Amino acid sequence: MSTELKRARNRQMLIFLLVCAGMLVLLGRLYYWQVVEAHSGHNLAQLANEEHVQNIVLSAPRGLIYDAEGRILATNVVRDDVYIEPIQFSTDHPDDYQSSLVTLAHSLHSVLPQVSEDQLYKDFNNGLSKGLQTMRIATRIDPSQSQQLQALRLSDIFLEPRTWRIYPQGSLAAQVLGYVTQSDTANQGVYGIEGQYNALLAGKPGSMTAETDLNGNPLVVGASSEQAPVNGADLSLTINSTIQYFTEMGLAQAVKQMGAQSATALVVDVRTGAVVAMAGVPTFDPNQYWQYANQKGCLGSEDVYFNPALYCSYEPGSTMKAVTMSAALDQHLITPNTTLIDPGYIAFPDAPTVYNWEDLGYGTETMTQVLEHSANVGAAYVAHNILGPSRYYPYLARFGFGQLTGLNDGPETPGTYRTPSNSPQVWTPSDLTRQAFGQSIEASPLQMAMAYATIANGGVMMHPYLVSSINNNGHVTTIQPQVERRVISSSASQLLTGMLMQVVENGLAKTAKVPGYTVAAKTGTATTQGIADTQTEASVAGFIPAQHPQFAILVKIDRPQATIYGGTAAAPLWEAIAQQLMWYYHIPPDDPNS
Amino acid sequence: MQSLKDRGSTQVNVPQRPILAARRRRQLYPFLFHMGPVALCVCSVLLIGLMAVLYLSQVGQAVSANETLVQLHTQEAVLQRQNQDLVDNIAQEQSPSYIAARAQRMGLVPADPASVQVLVVPHLKPVDSHDQRFKP
Repeated sequence: MSTELKRARNRQMLIFLLVCAGMLVLLGRLYYWQVVEAHSGHNLAQLANEEHVQNIVLSAPRGLIYDAEGRILATNVVRDDVYIEPIQFSTDHPDDYQSSLVTLAHSLHSVLPQVSEDQLYKDFNNGLSKGLQTMRIATRIDPSQSQQLQALRLSDIFLEPRTWRIYPQGSLAAQVLGYVTQSDTANQGVYGIEGQYNALLAGKPGSMTAETDLNGNPLVVGASSEQAPVNGADLSLTINSTIQYFTEMGLAQAVKQMGAQSATALVVDVRTGAVVAMAGVPTFDPNQYWQYANQKGCLGSEDVYFNPALYCSYEPGSTMKAVTMSAALDQHLITPNTTLIDPGYIAFPDAPTVYNWEDLGYGTETMTQVLEHSANVGAAYVAHNILGPSRYYPYLARFGFGQLTGLNDGPETPGTYRTPSNSPQVWTPSDLTRQAFGQSIEASPLQMAMAYATIANGGVMMHPYLVSSINNNGHVTTIQPQVERRVISSSASQLLTGMLMQVVENGLAKTAKVPGYTVAAKTGTATTQGIADTQTEASVAGFIPAQHPQFAILVKIDRPQATIYGGTAAAPLWEAIAQQLMWYYHIPPDDPNS
Repeated sequence: MQSLKDRGSTQVNVPQRPILAARRRRQLYPFLFHMGPVALCVCSVLLIGLMAVLYLSQVGQAVSANETLVQLHTQEAVLQRQNQDLVDNIAQEQSPSYIAARAQRMGLVPADPASVQVLVVPHLKPVDSHDQRFKP
């Protein structure tokens, strides 16, 4: 064998050995990944898939909330969050990292004044030390700020859009609507309509699994699967924004003028039971609900987020006298002209003596005059001497006291009162005589408004409701007015309406008179046991026009200081709301005497 | 010399059919026409090339469509966002508080109910219909 041939063979052998060595290395590497790593607990296939397959949650837009005239009360907007990538940033700027950070912070601060440069350095370094891939530095920035940031094209800064719940009308009907708590993963309606109808409003998020490109965009080629989201249902309320606004403004002004602690007002359509306005003061702005966390409503007993018309029960005071009279009228036990002698007090063998306000005596007075004078004596006389427990308490139950009104089946207070059957150990005839004029009984403002709406509606109680229709992705459900029950006869209702009209004409509710319209109303000035008589809950309940009732209105001012009576503290606002209602709905005047 | 008849009988005895079949097979396989190995290789390469071009063309179209789709999605998101902002703006500007504030800025003041003259028209029927009331 020649030397050249030998060399050639050696070279071939060397190449062969090198190839063998390479193959061995590759085999070793293959063994490492396929055997060693596969048994070390790492799911390599999954890790590989995560590189190019994405599971994207398709969020369902939350349903909108409209008022009775189609104005939007709650909607959604998309706003950007600003993120920084600390590790990527430090990698991208290995030499001039600090100076680049200073420049970046300055640029960010110029667009986002809410992001302080010092805080940004601190947060950035914290994020870097914790090894965070991304870090949020600002949330919910304005659209103009988003545009500015996009124009700046800052490296390692990116914007992430997020949907937010917005209430375009601010605090309007806030306690009716509630609010939505928003986190990175889920939105949850809290209080009011948002809480009660959360499942319907929220819809159902969808999902998409797809192979993505380097930028995370789904690829058309490659396997993908998609489950479309189900949009949230849109709700239409019976609330009228204009009347609601006027009521809220009036309440806020009344609270300020009277030096009161809080106030509540309600407007109910007597024919349907639809709640047209439902307002409370103090209230909150659902767009910034977190700022009101320490504020209290319901005379300090509940958070400001609770709807006082549903949650804040109170002793209704003299507005209850109409209910007492209705029970006696319906059973034909009295007429408006039935008389009694009222010396300013009335003694009972089994109950403490009842006195009129400031012990005023009115001599011989008719039942109509009992209401005109708001005489406790007359009401207690009717309840104790004419009706008695067996003929009085069934009417309280039929008017819905002590029971939930069932307003959209939401949470509320049922109120409470003692009867011989529900509190046999503690009930006394004193409860009966006091309940006749609105003490020893607690009712919610909605219950009182519905009681007057029942009287106005010929004695028929309608089921109160707030949501008039639900549009669930094209499937529209309209809530029809529902008759709850007949409470008193039509004739009793007419007689009582006449008596209440006299209260406005000649009695303590004169200040509730609306020019051109017949009004039936009753004032209430409730005191609470254990506190001074000057700390009252002044209220007026009634309906308008009295001859063809359309709306029942309740106004309640808690602890007014400038004047403590229902007729002076609450009636002017009642009159103003009633006046606006008549004008707004173009209801022709019906009082020929005005 | 063989007569024509003999020649004919000789031909009958020659086993021609298998040779013809083999030839035909060779000609037919793999195509319906005769093709040498070089031509076959060239054709295969051309065919594979054609298929690759077609595949790449399809992939290219898919990628292009994907980009268009991404752009459309982005555009849709932007339009949705703008729409939501506009809806929000309209809702704000329809709100009674906004209208009241604007009216105040324009120098308007709320009417004083006390100064309103009410004209009572006898026998004017009140509006009974619920629908009419809500659609004045």
